[in-house]
Amino acid sequence: MGKLTIGTFSSLVGSLSLDFAVKLAEAAVKKGHKVDFWMSGNATMLAKKGQKAFKDYSYLAKTLQELIATGNFQITACEACAEARGYHKEDCPDGFIRKSMDWYLASTFDADRVLHIGGD
Amino acid sequence: MSDYRCGMDMIDRLSAESLGIIFVGNGVYHAATKEGGKASSLLDKKANFYALTEDFETRGITAGNLDSRVKAVNYGDVVDIIFNDYEKVIWI
Repeated sequence: MGKLTIGTFSSLVGSLSLDFAVKLAEAAVKKGHKVDFWMSGNATMLAKKGQKAFKDYSYLAKTLQELIATGNFQITACEACAEARGYHKEDCPDGFIRKSMDWYLASTFDADRVLHIGGD
Repeated sequence: MSDYRCGMDMIDRLSAESLGIIFVGNGVYHAATKEGGKASSLLDKKANFYALTEDFETRGITAGNLDSRVKAVNYGDVVDIIFNDYEKVIWI
């Protein structure tokens, strides 16, 4: 089994690329792979607790908590990007990590595959 | 490939021994849309083509509408393609 690192940049909750990234991570973990998931820019919105499910609207929080519980999935938000948007440590959901971009860089170096989803 | 109107120039510049293109999001229109009766020129590239079933079905496209050069895949298949068939992955 391998390790996949996914980096998402500037993708707000509700964006198609963020949905894709989480569903891909879920599929990879189900197949026994490890996944590191990095959020930069507006993607750090995913690292804000208290998100609610609405009909026909993207809701990724539950899936992410289930993925974290597997032990094969790490999700990390860019600390500076989050702080710049007013998301502080106490706003972070359980199991989410906040780090500098060095974390993402280190993850890509020992990953078997990297998918970097760029922003605008 | 996640877009229909943009990204073609980048694919034109790609050079690989083995190239696979996975259509996701609005990129799935490459797999089924015919403009002026012509399929997407992207499908003329020397590559293996895949389209994410969830994304084309969301847009009202069925597997029967796909160009014969395109294979329908699910998320699990995409994981296998990424790990087993190609060394590098880029998002366009």
